[in-house]
Amino acid sequence: MQTLNNLFLIIAHFIRSLFADPQSVWANLTMDVINFIIVVVIIVLAALILILLERKVAGWTSMRTGPNRLGPRGWFQTIADALKLMGKEDVTPAGADKIIFKIAPMIIFSLPMMTLAVIPYGNHMAPIDLDLGIFYFLAVSAISTLAFLMAGWGSNNKYSLLGGMRAVAQMISYEIPLLFSLLGVIMITQSFNLGDIVKAQHTIPFIVLQPLAFVIYIIAGIAEVNRAPFDLVEADQEVVAGPFTEYTGLRWGLFFLGEYGNMTAVSALAATVFLGGWQGPFLPGWVWFWMKVGVIIFFMMWVRWTFPRIRVDHLMHLAWKVLLPLSILNIFLTGLGIFIYRLVMGG
Amino acid sequence: MSIDKTEELVLNMGPQHPSMHGLFRMIVHLEGETVTEIEPKIGYLHRGIEKLAESRTYTQFIPYTDRLDYLASPHNNWAYVQTVEKLMGVEIPERAEYLRVIFGELARIASHQVMIASTALDIAGWTAWGYAFRDRERILDMYEMTAGSRLTVNCMRIGGMSAEPPAEFWPALESFLDDTPEMLEEYYGIFFGNEIAQGRLKNVGIMPKELAENLSITGPVLRASGVQYDVRKAYPYSIYDRFDFDVPVRYGCDSYDRTIIRMDEIKESVKIIRQAIRDIPEGPIMAKVPKVIKPPVGEVYHRVENPKGELGFYIVSDGSTKPARVRIRPGTFVNLQMLPIVAKGWKIQDVVAIFATLDAVLGEVDK
Amino acid sequence: MENKELLKQRVEELAGRVNGEVEEILGTLILKVQAPYVTETLTAVKSFDDVPCDFLHDLAGLDLVDHLEVVYQLTSLNGPQHLRVKAIVDRENPVVDSVTRIWQGADYLEREAYDMFGIQFKGHPNLKRIYMWDDFEGYPLRKDYETEPIEIRNLVRQRIDGE
Repeated sequence: MQTLNNLFLIIAHFIRSLFADPQSVWANLTMDVINFIIVVVIIVLAALILILLERKVAGWTSMRTGPNRLGPRGWFQTIADALKLMGKEDVTPAGADKIIFKIAPMIIFSLPMMTLAVIPYGNHMAPIDLDLGIFYFLAVSAISTLAFLMAGWGSNNKYSLLGGMRAVAQMISYEIPLLFSLLGVIMITQSFNLGDIVKAQHTIPFIVLQPLAFVIYIIAGIAEVNRAPFDLVEADQEVVAGPFTEYTGLRWGLFFLGEYGNMTAVSALAATVFLGGWQGPFLPGWVWFWMKVGVIIFFMMWVRWTFPRIRVDHLMHLAWKVLLPLSILNIFLTGLGIFIYRLVMGG
Repeated sequence: MSIDKTEELVLNMGPQHPSMHGLFRMIVHLEGETVTEIEPKIGYLHRGIEKLAESRTYTQFIPYTDRLDYLASPHNNWAYVQTVEKLMGVEIPERAEYLRVIFGELARIASHQVMIASTALDIAGWTAWGYAFRDRERILDMYEMTAGSRLTVNCMRIGGMSAEPPAEFWPALESFLDDTPEMLEEYYGIFFGNEIAQGRLKNVGIMPKELAENLSITGPVLRASGVQYDVRKAYPYSIYDRFDFDVPVRYGCDSYDRTIIRMDEIKESVKIIRQAIRDIPEGPIMAKVPKVIKPPVGEVYHRVENPKGELGFYIVSDGSTKPARVRIRPGTFVNLQMLPIVAKGWKIQDVVAIFATLDAVLGEVDK
Repeated sequence: MENKELLKQRVEELAGRVNGEVEEILGTLILKVQAPYVTETLTAVKSFDDVPCDFLHDLAGLDLVDHLEVVYQLTSLNGPQHLRVKAIVDRENPVVDSVTRIWQGADYLEREAYDMFGIQFKGHPNLKRIYMWDDFEGYPLRKDYETEPIEIRNLVRQRIDGE
């Protein structure tokens, strides 16, 4: 049991022990490269699995079977789709701002790599154990706004531009409640370190102490990753595909990877901060972690295939008039709770 | 220096666009997300059906009517053959009349289901789309049993029906009617009852009663604006005077009522079909009509309540085997005029929703 | 039918004022007027006492070889009255007043009649072709419009097949 729990730590230890000095620069560098590869693999695997899962969930909600031709129960469908994407022609529109157009998908793909690197996947299993973990996570994920705008602007297409503008308006608005919802947890743990936050949930996950913050985080998180009912950025019915309209082949695939990577990252943060991360009985920590992430992702998919798209003014209304005051109220209540707790405990 | 005016964004939506039903195109002037002006452009599906009619015999023209509103093709057949029958003074057998009513009302249900589905889809209710289309499939199966085709049914002839429905048609029809209340509940539960869907549709695209009357709007769109008018009641054609049904009316004048009124109409259609099944007599389904259809010189205008609006046929006969002029008055073509007026000032999302609630079928609009 | 008698009486009164002819075909009253009287006729018809035909149901062109006609199908949402008004338009110089000021809904219908018959509606806010493209030549539903002969169409088809 203990071995299984620390499986990856043991592997890491073994790799380090191959070096003369396990803490030397070269050992650290090797570990970093391995960590990097692991994160990339996580994103690619997540996208492959999640796209299939999404289609299966879509089928389940609308009483269809979903993909069922390639491989057993259609499991190889995404692989076939990925291969098809690779084989497609890479078209750059004639009027596009070529550099911006080409950089945008790369940025969007690199962001989940950066954010997923600070998540603790198990006890002492954060690829990079940052003291400012949450802060770093939010700062980096805010860059994706820029990538959407770049894609929208660079494509030289009106639909793309509209989509890009929508992305900016929506993501900046929802960043604020997202940040504030996490503040309550930070106030309790008095740490930005994600590892510490998970350890603080040893007895009780923060979803019990901070239910309001959790709800706000999930709503704002769905809006942050542009999924229905907040998928105004890529709303087919209005702006065709938003910033992705002009992208083809692998570049479009990168957007897709980035999108699912972002979704994984947001769910991973939710699992870490509110659901107790890798903490859990019986099963190894990393299994618990991915199970919690899976539950949140499934919930997001379920929401996507149930709700229609929200209206653009309702979207802003929700962010600024509902979620923001609620998140501030949550901070206030948390402060009050901490004050009373200290008074009672005599701290 | 202050900026007084920013540049307008002129967006060309369609004819190839995910939410333009068929080949509709509109040029939208945008200020941010707000629409300042809409110019609908139609004609991408124009096949010149009226011109074709002048070189076809009366019977040969029936299949062309299927291609008008292809989501409710029996209704178009019905309107056309009734017009010719009125011109010739043909009495058709009782059983054929009842069968026509059954098929017409089935077509109405199918058409409204498509409307519900596509409205849901246009505001991104992907799941609801599948539910409505699943149920419509059963109606298409019933068409197929009788006439052999599923979309362009072509089941009516001048003087009656083309074929008697087979024995398995009746149980299928009964079980479909029995399931409709559950279906409607499902559509409501999965889509219209949804908070976001109501937020998207309610109080959006208000068309007041006066405007609707002035714009010659007909059909459910008119009734959603608070006018209780239905040709089936006002001028009972065929045998509609024998059935007991209500004309649903709603007073919201908004997108929501324009959508939800179709659910009410499905309920009424079910009522009519049930009565038709109860009363249908045995007998022939074709009247004795001459082999060569040769109406006397004259002209006739006849209109029926198509699921999407009133469909009128104006036929001028010069006494030969080919009509001198067939004028088709498509309901949605006239209804479409409201779009630039009503949708002005709303967000681009709402324009898509308003267009969806008009339920325009471009086969009918473009003729 | 009382309603119909009343309507007939009103229409006949009106016909005297606008030099119109009244006839009845298959139960429908038809009022034929010359093009210049259209606005006057339709304004009067819209506000008939007791039997106003205030709903413009359809507006269509009609080619009768020696002249063109614009056919207005009028009904009401509040009663069973229906009336067909026909405006006789000169074939060489087909001009008639637009009724868009009386019924906004005549907009597309008049554009269609213009597109198909070349009837000029005076006072229409946006008289452009609606189905055909802007530089299309001729008016397809006129009787003298020559459709492409089948031989020419076959020629084109052969050329495409040959390539």
